[in-house]
Formats: sequence, C-alpha cells, structure tokens
Amino acid sequence: MGSKSLALSFHVQAECKTSRARAGIMKLPHYEVKTPVFMPVGTQGTMKGLLPEQLECLDCEIILGNTYHLGNRPGTDVLEKAGGLHKFMSWNRALLTDSGGFQMVSLLKLAEITEEGVKFKSPYDNSEIMLTPEKSIEIQNCIGADIIMQLDDVVQTTFQDYDRIKEATERTSRWLDRCLKAHKRPSEQSIFPIVQGLLDRELREKSARDHMSKDVNGFAIGGLSGGEAKDEFWPMVSLSTGLLDKNRPRYLMGVGLAIDLVICVALGVDMFDCVYPTRTARFGCALINTGQLNLRQKQYETDLNPIDDDCSCSTCRNYTRAYLHAIVTVETVACHLISVHNIAFQMRLMQTIRDNIERGTFPQFVNKFVNELYSNGDFPPWIINSLSSVGISIVKK
Amino acid sequence: MRFAVKQVGCGGERIGYLTGFVKSPNTVIETPAAALFTQGGSVVHLTAEVLCKVFTNPQLLWVPLSNSAQLENGLKAQGQGVAKFAGLPNHIACATLHGNNELTPPGHFEGNLVPLWTKQGKKMITADRYMDFMEVFKPDILLAIADGRSTLADGYKRNQKAVERTCSFLDRCVYRYKASKALRETSLIGVIVGTGHRNKCFECIKHILKHGEHLSGIALAGITDGTEESLQVPVQKLEEIFRTVGKVIPNDMVHFVEGCWNPEIIMTAIQHGWDVFDGTYPLKLTNAGQALALNFDLTTNKDDMCILDLNDKRYKLDFGPILKDCECLTCKKHTRAYIRHLLETREMLSNVLLSIHNLHHFDQMFVHARNHIATKTFEVYKNHISHQYRLYVKNLENDLDSVKVKLSEKDIEQTKKKICVSNGDVPKVVTGCG
Repeated sequence: MGSKSLALSFHVQAECKTSRARAGIMKLPHYEVKTPVFMPVGTQGTMKGLLPEQLECLDCEIILGNTYHLGNRPGTDVLEKAGGLHKFMSWNRALLTDSGGFQMVSLLKLAEITEEGVKFKSPYDNSEIMLTPEKSIEIQNCIGADIIMQLDDVVQTTFQDYDRIKEATERTSRWLDRCLKAHKRPSEQSIFPIVQGLLDRELREKSARDHMSKDVNGFAIGGLSGGEAKDEFWPMVSLSTGLLDKNRPRYLMGVGLAIDLVICVALGVDMFDCVYPTRTARFGCALINTGQLNLRQKQYETDLNPIDDDCSCSTCRNYTRAYLHAIVTVETVACHLISVHNIAFQMRLMQTIRDNIERGTFPQFVNKFVNELYSNGDFPPWIINSLSSVGISIVKK
Repeated sequence: MRFAVKQVGCGGERIGYLTGFVKSPNTVIETPAAALFTQGGSVVHLTAEVLCKVFTNPQLLWVPLSNSAQLENGLKAQGQGVAKFAGLPNHIACATLHGNNELTPPGHFEGNLVPLWTKQGKKMITADRYMDFMEVFKPDILLAIADGRSTLADGYKRNQKAVERTCSFLDRCVYRYKASKALRETSLIGVIVGTGHRNKCFECIKHILKHGEHLSGIALAGITDGTEESLQVPVQKLEEIFRTVGKVIPNDMVHFVEGCWNPEIIMTAIQHGWDVFDGTYPLKLTNAGQALALNFDLTTNKDDMCILDLNDKRYKLDFGPILKDCECLTCKKHTRAYIRHLLETREMLSNVLLSIHNLHHFDQMFVHARNHIATKTFEVYKNHISHQYRLYVKNLENDLDSVKVKLSEKDIEQTKKKICVSNGDVPKVVTGCG
C-alpha cells in the first residue's frame, strides 16, 4: 500500500490491527523519513543553537522552516543565490515549510483577509504586503523544502461565527487550486493541502473531500490545537483521518505533546510538528515520560541524577540535574543541553511508537504509556474516549 | 602539576610543558597557550558534545569564580570538582577570582574584603571564603585571591594598598592550601599586583617568591580595574611590564597573563617569556559577532582585515567560509552569509559557529607561535601578526571617520527635510550622529 511520485512516495510498512496506527516510509528528494514522525521546528533556518550534525545525531530526519520569517530574513534573494534553504543552513535531510499564513494571523493584528490573499503590515518596515497563494508558493519554491504547504485562510480555532468559518474553509479549497497552479517545482516539492473547517463536522468533511479529489501527495490537518477543549479536538482529528486516503501521509499541524502524539498516531496521523520541545527548553523545562522537570526549581540544586536515567542523549550522559539547575536560564549552553534532551525525547518516543506498531504491540504500548503518565489511574475522559473509538481500551494497572 | 621549559627562542620566548596533573596524568599542555574561557563551568556557548568537535585533546579551562559561584552547592553534593561537574572531566581547570570578559565597576575593596561581581550582584568575600569555594571547586590550578583591580594610571597609594592586601591574602591562601586535603591535587599560583608602581610591584613579587616552594607559577594582574578605559593601554607600556616583571620571575615558574589582550599584545608577552593566557579575547570577538581571520603564512601579505565583522551587510551574499583553508567545523560547513543571517535574527547558533571558529583560530595562533619558537623564527612571526593587527586598527579608524562623515551628511539631509515638512516649525536639536 502507498503512493508514488517523484517528489514523494509513501509506503505503509506495518499497520496496527486494532487502531488506525501505521508505520511507513516517506521517500522525499532529500531523505527517506520513517513515519510516524515528529518534526522539530527550526523557524529561521536554525534549530535553537544546535548544529545540523547534532540534529542528525539525534535522528531528526525532517525539520520545519517558517516561510514568513525566511521570506523576510534572509529573504528570497539570498536563498535563491544560496541554492535553497538546504544549502544555506547546511542541512542535507528533509525540510518542510509552512505557507506563512499562520504567522500572519498569529503575529499580526493588522491582517486583512480577502479573496486575493492576506494583506498585512510588515513589522520590519511597516510597508503593506499582500501574501497571495501564488506568492506563498513562489517563496516556498525558492526555499526549496521537500514538502510545502498551501496558503490557507486561517481562523482561530475557538472562533464561533459559522459564516466566517464556512467562508474560510471554502476559500482554502479555492486557494489550493491557485497554489497547485502556481507550483513550479512539482517533481521536487510536494504541496500538502490543509483540511480546514475548525470544529464543524460538515465543513471539515467537505474540506477533506475537496482535497481528496486533487492530485496531491499528502494532506495536512489544520485549524486544530488552537486552544479548543480536548473533547472537541480528537473527534476532528479522527474525522479527518477517517476520510483521508490511506495511501498518502497525513500531517497534523501544531501538535507535539507526548500524550497527544500517542493518541493521534492511534487515530491514524503520520506527521507532527510543534515548537513546544525547544521552546520549553529555553525556560529550563526538560521532558520526561511523566511530564516535565522544571530545572529552575530549588529541589534540583543537589540532584546528581541525569534528567532521565533511561535517556542516552549526550546531555543525559554528561550532565546532572544539579549542574543544569546551576546554569539554567543564565548560560546559552543550558538551553542547548535541554534542547538536545527534549528533541531526543521526542525522537525516542516516535521510535518506540514505530517499533510497537511494527511488532504488533501498539495497543499494549499505549496502555503502558497512559498508565505511566496517569499513575493514579485518573485517566482523562478524552483519552479513554478517543482510544476506545479506535478499539483500544485502557486498563488500569 | 609540573612545568618544564623545553626550548628557548632567540628572545625571551620559550616553549614549555605543563604535565603531571594528578587527575589526568597523561595530559600534556604545550605553552605558549590560551585557556578556554568558561562561564558557569562551561566553555561559553559550547556544550561538551560540540567542544569535542573543536578540540580532541584536553585543554585548559579558565574558570572565574565571579561567573560560577552559583555552582557551589551542586559541587559540594557531587564532590568531584568543577571540570567533572560541568561535563568536561578530561580538561584542566584553572580557577581565578574574576573574569576579564565583562566590564565591572572599579574599586569596592574594603579592608580584607574583595568584591565579587556576579550576575546576582556584588558579593564581598574574604580570602578564607575564597578558599572555601576552591575546596569544592577543586581546580587543577588555583590562582590566589588578589586585589588585581588597579590600573597603570593609579598612583602610589592605590598600588600600595593593592600590594598590602594581596600579600596578606596570599599568606592566608598558602596557609589554607597547605592544610587542605581537598586541594592536594591542586597547584597554587601567586598573583602579581600593583603593576602601576614599579617598586610596589617588585615588593609584591618578592613576597610571592617567599612562598615559592608552595607555588607552581605566577600570574600577572593589576593592569586593568574592570573598566573600559583601563583596557586602553599602549602596547609599549605593556611591553615594559612584560619585560621587567618577566625578568625577575624564576624561569621554572609558569607565567600566566590575565586580561582581554589583542594578538599584538599577546605576541609581545610571548616574546618576553609569558606562557599562558586567559582566553577572553576570542569570546569578546564572538559576542560582538566578529571572527578572527589572521594570515599565518609568512610568505604572503594579505590586505584582508584580520577581524571580520559578520554583522556587516557586505556579507549578505557571501557564500564563502569565514576563512579559506581553515580546518574548523564552521569554515568547512558554513558560510559568511549564513552566520550574518543568524546574527541578524539573533539566533543562538551564530555564537556557537563563531565560537567554534574563533577558538580554533585563536588556538592556531599559539600553535604557529610554538612552531616559530622551535625554528627560531618567532620574531618574524610576531611582526607578521602585529602588522596585521595594526593595519586592522588603522582601517577601522579610517572606516569610522568615513562613517561619521556619511552620518552627518545624512543628518543634514534629514534636517533639511524636517525643516521643509514642518513649515517653519524647526526641530530644536538636529546635530549629532544620530
């Protein structure tokens, strides 16, 4: 099972017999990526102080860049002359870029969205800029990522006005056509459409069906993870993955919390991205199976354990919690060290998920994972419900 | 620790070996050399994992208490010393009171108290408190606490006070050192102060040498007081100090120089027999977004600047490495344009890449110095490096002048515009460089 194209071929190698989880290989021009995959976010052509070879060491196979930021700095003129972002940042594995639309809505109060595109004032020089679907693809063609995103009409997830949500969903489909038409490098880059519709079942279904009819190599699920309740979140993921083609990869945007990754893999998602692991590192928070350690806390001052005994990352091999406590938020090195650990944590989780899918033990793994995280047995209903919707029942240990 | 002079050059320059470190018996540090400057025990901007990509051999770590005092409780619990605690167990830690990378207020010494300028503010400490810290830091090399914060412009009184205080600190340090179990594997270094007054300075040296049997080396301080102004010392004046002080110190003691000194000054110090430098200079460049790019080849003279300011727009489309033929990881894999982008976007990787290059290249400057001492060509090498640095300073001054002119022209134009727009409502202050 799978799909083939020059820019992306996807092979499902193992499927969970109970849930919708699957493990596969996504062949991209720059790298063969094992799915399900977590993609760390390197906004401006760099990953929070880490060298490309460190990311390779951490088994990162694909990372994200942000079109909006890269389009401003260094700018397309530099990227074009550099021969694309891969060469500019010296990263030889796969890259994915977003469309730039999300940043405009999240960063800029002055964004005005019309049928033509998103109009906003540049925070750099206050000039008025219009980001159209064509412009977004032009910039992304120049950046040269393996996977690029269509420009979508973004509405805040918690937004209530049905008419506006409907407009945005339908416009996203129209913009997809414009993006596909404007795409100049289809044999090297794959455009992913974005399933919209926020929390409305009908609109989301329509959006997914529209996109399914297009000649694309994979799909993104957008408009979620924006502050909505978990009980509203997972049914939309489930609805989307249920409709989308099994032979093409599915990318859930902006999700990266360990428990969310486990649940959404069970619901049939193949790709994730989130700034959380590296952002939280800057504030001194290290990820562990049962949540996170805030290394600024006094209790770690004389704690001679590594962040995580079971972690084999270079931070856990060389440094104690006590040392990290002493330099956290003071020295840049602390930020690098915790980022390394947090990315290692995400990568190890995804590797464990893939291994369990391949071995046919995914449901058991999910059970163990949830029991460890909620050791008091107090499982949140959304976890029970989402998992039981795909046939995994959580048994209290 | 033992120090042995292996070879002396035509002038006072010499090649030496630091060996016999109890914790790492196989380590050999060749001098002249620079230590790697640390903050909070880590080489600034570089994790242990990345440092391995720059140096495969053990290095000297320069560990100022002023930026690492917060490690104390953790170190106490761990009990194995600062290098191990900071994830750098194979390296050699040299602990001292102050770092020379940050500007600090002058003065603030009171009686037997020394100001320690930390990120959390000023802490007054005694010699005993300093030695308490050192007993948990367990450095391989320990510079005695001193009042080294005076300038060459200071008069008799300040120098006298500095020497008096430092001598009594040293007595206390030696006393504590002799009695300390924790410091058995540590080598003690005496610190020369009062440099601004010849007689007082010599008095200080005399006193240090009285403790000679307990000391493995001496360090030179008392040139700057932590302020910007005090760093502006003419090289001739420093040469005089390196020469006169260097002469009276026994040859078998390793000579340390503290301070953020440029390549020309370092070459001068080396020529007068100074062995180890504190490594602040490359850090200062890195933090300013600058890269050291000296030409070590004596057969060619390049007009290129020996320091590149990678913030400069001129590198926006420059896809070459910082320095052609440089063997560091940064130059092998990354471009000037990329580093400029990282600086512009204030990304942390800029400091990492610049540190990798600057530490490597600064180290190469010492490797070449040792090679030239060995082949009796140090004088030529020194002149070659000094010439590049002087040319760089001269070009910089010319650039500054032209920038000033440009700015004032722009100012005039802007002022003219303002006057037009404001219809007679002329802004009051329109002078200055923006």
